[in-house]
Amino acid sequence: MQLYRGGIEDIINIYNIVKEFLKADVYGYKRYGNSLVFDFIESSSELPIDVHVVQRPGFYRVSRGFGFIHSSHSPKNLLYPFKQELFRVDQELNIKTLENSLKPVILFGIKPCDVAAINVFDKLFGNNFNPYYLNRRRSVVGIVVEECLNPGETCFCSTMGTGPDARNGFDLAFAKVDRDLVIFKAGSSLGEKIVAKANLQKASDDDVKRYEILLEEAKRKTNLGIGVEDIQTSLEKSITDVELWRKVSEKCVGCANCNMVCPTCFCSEIVDDVVGDEAVRIMQLIGCLSYTYGLVAGGHFRKELYTRYRHFILHKFVFYPKQIDLFGCVGCGRCTVWCPVGIDIRETVKTVASRYRG
Amino acid sequence: MSNPFTSIIKGVVINEISETTTTKTITIKLVNGSMNPMPGQFNMLYVFGLGEVPISISNLYPGKRDIVEHTIRFVGAVTRAMIKAIRVGSQIGVRGPYGNKWPLEEAEGSDILIVSGGIGFAPLRPVVKYIIMNRERFRRVNILYGARTPEEFLYKYELEEYSKIPNSKFLLSIDKPYPGWTGYVGFVTDLIKYTDVDTGNSYTFVCGPEIMMKVAVKKLLERGFRKDKIFLSMERRMRCGVGICGTCQFGHLFVCKNGPIFRYSEIENYINVEGI
Ligand SMILES: Cc1cc2nc3c(=O)[nH]c(=O)nc-3n(C[C@H](O)[C@H](O)[C@H](O)COP(=O)(O)OP(=O)(O)OC[C@H]3O[C@@H](n4cnc5c(N)ncnc54)[C@H](O)[C@@H]3O)c2cc1C
Ligand code: SF4
Ligand code: SF4
Ligand code: FES
Repeated sequence: MQLYRGGIEDIINIYNIVKEFLKADVYGYKRYGNSLVFDFIESSSELPIDVHVVQRPGFYRVSRGFGFIHSSHSPKNLLYPFKQELFRVDQELNIKTLENSLKPVILFGIKPCDVAAINVFDKLFGNNFNPYYLNRRRSVVGIVVEECLNPGETCFCSTMGTGPDARNGFDLAFAKVDRDLVIFKAGSSLGEKIVAKANLQKASDDDVKRYEILLEEAKRKTNLGIGVEDIQTSLEKSITDVELWRKVSEKCVGCANCNMVCPTCFCSEIVDDVVGDEAVRIMQLIGCLSYTYGLVAGGHFRKELYTRYRHFILHKFVFYPKQIDLFGCVGCGRCTVWCPVGIDIRETVKTVASRYRG
Repeated sequence: MSNPFTSIIKGVVINEISETTTTKTITIKLVNGSMNPMPGQFNMLYVFGLGEVPISISNLYPGKRDIVEHTIRFVGAVTRAMIKAIRVGSQIGVRGPYGNKWPLEEAEGSDILIVSGGIGFAPLRPVVKYIIMNRERFRRVNILYGARTPEEFLYKYELEEYSKIPNSKFLLSIDKPYPGWTGYVGFVTDLIKYTDVDTGNSYTFVCGPEIMMKVAVKKLLERGFRKDKIFLSMERRMRCGVGICGTCQFGHLFVCKNGPIFRYSEIENYINVEGI
């Protein structure tokens, strides 16, 4: 694949180009006070260019620097929002649907693992027809990815095959080698057009070499050291090992933070919000780790916490592949970073694999 | 494809029968839509301002695509409203039919065994009705139905008719002795030993509380019934009915989309796993 070179100013230039050229709203990670959110980017000054983040189990800090990874937000905030209005209904059961033409959207600076998470949703909600998701998804007219040459401590995208470089499903990707060298590559004809408009030069052999060295290092850092098939088969064998699952979930407090930040967690409840003589039917995320997930009058389908934690892990590595032939975990590490007690998904799968491998 | 969530058909309750102190059967006339539900399928019933719940089809109205019938037991908020507030003339939203059906075509030419407990008989009533209407398609039929007390049986006004199905056996059980009860006392699964269908060539349909279904399967397998011919109707908390909300997952299976009826051989690795 042809690589191009530029500098930080070219990232800003490309932000302006896609905005003008595609006449779209640009969404991506942006600074919001001292945190980073996924939202509408109004100006290039909001781009997280001079931002560094430190991520560890149960720990996240933003500072000035170079090498932004991601935040508790993800494109899920836009494509599958925490709360979405489905429709309104009156007492006579007349239904009012929402206007469903959305403005075109560009996703800018999203991460390779984010793209993989979108692929998961595309497949799931294509099979299990979800008009709300598909409508939002169709409004996305372009995807610009930022590769991770400086991945987070909790990232394991290399093991999951989703990063740290952009693989598929993007139009343009860039990688910050240093302040003076940014490598660009096109993933579609739209990407080629943007490259041409931005007047980018072809990268030299030396540029490519510098990029590749960092990429190899990033791949090494994001590799768990066990194969994903090993994880999958050992998890499958562990299903009835209650003692093991109690142990790995021992510290869990059932807050469902992991579910909220996970870019592929979609489980939702539907509630009625009665306003005047109308009811608004609202779909909102409910994590499988929360107590009310399987609660019913007079019973509970997943009463014990270990069964809920086990479902979270099994869904990502064992059930998703059976449902849509893709892993549901993209190795972003968010669940680990935003777990208040620092439960590390990598430790969980390693513990299970060490007991059940082979 | 149309939006499943907004496909709520307006229904008007045209008949209600109080089955037990906590259960009622309602017949609904669909006002601005129609459907042709099959035995085993369910509808999402909506009560304005309260929410939607999955409820099985509990009767057949062949040729009448604007009538559906459901039997509802009061357990929580929405079902309470259905029992206490919904009357003849009340409006109710109906979305469906969803889910798969009992494999009545596959079972043609075979013996049939029905094992049911409590409200679990509701989704099997259409099967019994179907057998009555198409008696020649099946061989020997056994129906086992258990309730806590004689008063707890649903469709008491029809049970006599079930017992008259030619070439069949209809056995009832109650949990504890009860004045005037001369039938079997004990768990409905105990009745499995009295069945006289051809075990190797019988289709068994089971619906009831999960624990009862587990015991039933164990006893059926002990008696030599084939695990690929035992079918269970599973229950999980449901919110959408169409594979989108994710909350009905049973292992990797979406009960609403892949079920609610499962061949035992398909779920044997899950059924005994707590909270799967
Ligand atoms: C496929 C299927 C068929 C069913 N058929 C019947 C039937 O024919 N007759 C009958 O009386 N009951 C049936 N049920 C159970 C019935 O759906 C629940 O009793 C009902 O949803 C309880 O709602 P509630 O609001 O009264 O209780 P709450 O517990 O207060 O309910 C809150 C919400 O939880 C959900 N919910 C609660 N219990 C269940 C449950 N057991 N299964 C799924 N979702 C639940 C509903 O979305 C409900 O809105 C069936 C369940 C399933 C899955
Ligand atoms: S399970 Fe954890 S690491 Fe995997 S995609 Fe979800 S948040 Fe990321
Ligand atoms: S974030 Fe951590 S404590 Fe909270 S539910 Fe997830 S694993 Fe448990
Ligand atoms: S009820 Fe929503 S996915 Fe099955």
